[in-house]
Amino acid sequence: MEKELLFKTNNIGKIYGTNTVLEGINVEFHRGEIVGLIGENGAGKSTLMKIIAGVENASMGTMEMHGKPFKASSMLDANKHGIGMVFQEQSLISNLSAAQNIFLGREKDFSTLGMVNWAKMNAAARAALDKLGLSHISPSQKISDMPFAMRQMVEITKVLDIVSETANDKALILLDEPTTVLTDEEMKILFEQVRMMKEKGNCIIFISHRLQEVLDLTDRIYVFKDGHLTGEVETKDADEYKLYEMMVGRETNGEYYVSQRQTVPTDDVVLEVENLAMFGSFKDVSFKLHKGEVLGLYGVEGSGKEDVCAVISGDEAKTEGVIRVNGKEVKFGSPSDARKHGILSVPRDRRDEGIIGILPINENISVSNYGKNATAGLISNKKQIENAKGWIKDLGIKCEGPNQRISNLSGGNAQKVIFARVLDSECPILILDHPTRGVDIGAKGDIYSLIRDITEKGFSVLLMGDTLDECLGLASRIIVMKDGLVTAEFDCPADNKPDQVEVVQKML
Amino acid sequence: MNLFSKRDTKSMTVAEQFVSKVEQEARSNKIRVYAPMILLVFMTIVFSIYDSHFFSMKNLINVLGQMAVPLILATGLTFVLLLGRIDLSVEGVMGLVGSCISLLILNSRNANDWGIWGVILPLLLGTICGFITGFLHVKLKIASFIITYAISTIVSGIAVLLYNSRPATVKAQWIIDASQTYFLKIPLITWIAIVFYLICAVILNYTAFGRAVYAIGDNEAAAAASGINVQKVVIEVFILSGFAASLAGLVALIRLKLGQVSLGENQMFPCITALVVGGTSLSGGKGGMLQTMVGILIYMELLNFLTIIGVSADYKNAIQGVIIIIAVALTITRGRKVIAK
Repeated sequence: MEKELLFKTNNIGKIYGTNTVLEGINVEFHRGEIVGLIGENGAGKSTLMKIIAGVENASMGTMEMHGKPFKASSMLDANKHGIGMVFQEQSLISNLSAAQNIFLGREKDFSTLGMVNWAKMNAAARAALDKLGLSHISPSQKISDMPFAMRQMVEITKVLDIVSETANDKALILLDEPTTVLTDEEMKILFEQVRMMKEKGNCIIFISHRLQEVLDLTDRIYVFKDGHLTGEVETKDADEYKLYEMMVGRETNGEYYVSQRQTVPTDDVVLEVENLAMFGSFKDVSFKLHKGEVLGLYGVEGSGKEDVCAVISGDEAKTEGVIRVNGKEVKFGSPSDARKHGILSVPRDRRDEGIIGILPINENISVSNYGKNATAGLISNKKQIENAKGWIKDLGIKCEGPNQRISNLSGGNAQKVIFARVLDSECPILILDHPTRGVDIGAKGDIYSLIRDITEKGFSVLLMGDTLDECLGLASRIIVMKDGLVTAEFDCPADNKPDQVEVVQKML
Repeated sequence: MNLFSKRDTKSMTVAEQFVSKVEQEARSNKIRVYAPMILLVFMTIVFSIYDSHFFSMKNLINVLGQMAVPLILATGLTFVLLLGRIDLSVEGVMGLVGSCISLLILNSRNANDWGIWGVILPLLLGTICGFITGFLHVKLKIASFIITYAISTIVSGIAVLLYNSRPATVKAQWIIDASQTYFLKIPLITWIAIVFYLICAVILNYTAFGRAVYAIGDNEAAAAASGINVQKVVIEVFILSGFAASLAGLVALIRLKLGQVSLGENQMFPCITALVVGGTSLSGGKGGMLQTMVGILIYMELLNFLTIIGVSADYKNAIQGVIIIIAVALTITRGRKVIAK
């Protein structure tokens, strides 16, 4: 390409603990182009963006901007170099006005003797907003009084203004799923602005799960999978189907997921949800979970699948619909209610919601079922330790013994302790939320075997897999969600898994 | 909500539902802002109808006279609460500063007569206490309610040691004169409080520092990412609160003329009640000087009304406790998962 090179990465990688989330990334961004980044959740796009924007440090590799080595110590530092990022989650201060947000941290430009001249700041904000065609937004309006999409536009204005101050149309602007909450009209305005910035010589990186938008807007597309850059394509040579294919990549063989031990679900329905809805998150969700079945629930983040699980596990309240356990309608006010009905959830965020770091392994195992090791309400330490020893042996947990603190274990082993807790609780319905996230390959295999053990015992599993491959590999059936609705259901018998491209089409 | 809008929400897409949920939130936020003001007007009318003494000039001036200490403290605490922190040290600092002043100006216990410096230096001392509190909170990352409570007990202890359990009575004529000075029938100390309040209102609303306080209280990470020096702002807020407590200590001394730690006793809790009633959130980011004034007025009116109709002090304490529970319950943003810590 003859365009001037603006930014490039050399073998950038990122490791969290023992888990490599990004490896050997070489990408180039040129002036005057729009580049799309696509891939499943967890494929590494957002991590790469955060490294470029100075939010996180790379574990390996180097970066160059304008041909010179580049390393941002903070987002602010990156801003000064002409790199700005608009986040998926908004970072505006709700009690301040649009102008105050746009110039937050830069009030000096409008101050005399420490007093900020709001009129001057509002005028500057007016100009910045007008530049983006946002004449309907008043600079003095409070963020909390604005509709969601308008807040997004303010956020974009803020980032563009910060960056253009120093970058002089040589800016690199990262947009992480900016369109999720915008209306068609607002999206059109945004796209126009993005194209205008491109014409001026800036480079815009655009992350979106909506492939049609990516095809409409970008010049070139990078495809990510499992922390690797797996493909690059000129947008004019691509169509949606081709992108689907590039995203799913090769399939792993059945052995990896121990699919010879995949159970055939029985006709007993243990959990049934009907027209379940949570206002603002999902609606009309109905499915049945059978005894001994792994039911996969798949969709991009924000498709509503997380909240479906949260409702079923009693963490969030439903606004409509019915949940039945063994044919009887149930109502949960808390996870402990759900637990009483035999539903237990294994949270995704182990460190925050899963393990109780200061307690030893044995107590972490029995925390969901203290009664088992107690007589007349008093817990027997001895029984608890014996019980833990059994699980440590059964699950092959690598540790010094049942009294070791769980916080000293590796990710995979900590996850096994949580599985021990789940099995110990003897709950027949388990919700597994990304059970292998942050777990190394070896421990992944153990966890897959464990899931097979669980279903062979007749327990049922509702699974949110870390990747589509994993979800398909483990599940007997999968339900696909998109924008808060169930869009498809696929049978996944061990010998005839559905085509990943077909699934992805329903999901994006 | 009427039936029609219910049907509408059902046919919405999930994305539209989400947008309407956010809008709903914005509306209820607005109600939260105006509710205390409406309550204040409503209370004033009802109390005036119930008892004709209530709306008399005499009673109004009485209320204004009692308002000085709470208004000064609440003004300083507004910044602290907007940050999502709390400052329990104000009572101790008030006591320390009041005691120090009483021992340095002409008094009954010793031969000191430092004049105006006897006031300025203790004020400075109290302000430094605020700095130490903020510094320890930020650098050692100790939760603000712990560190400020600790500082409060330390400085109260020092104060008692200073006057050796026998508080000094103020003999300085200019302090005694100050307590009897009125402008427009309103006591000088109330004017001091009002001027301090106005200066702080300008600081909060017209300086980058003031905006940074809101930003940190609402979203500390975003504030830091915008280049705000969070640690510095937090320390500055505790310095301001320390100064406010010192000023309140001076004002309390002018009123009572006896320099002892009890100058500060039972002063903080009413202020926090008033702030919360006015609409300032204990979790930070929400509130402001207008809300603070409304809260203080509601609180003072209610207290005054209870006194007029002859409710005993014990009942007043109980009523105050009930009010704070109701006010916090109404203003707090709740997560479903975690109760609160």
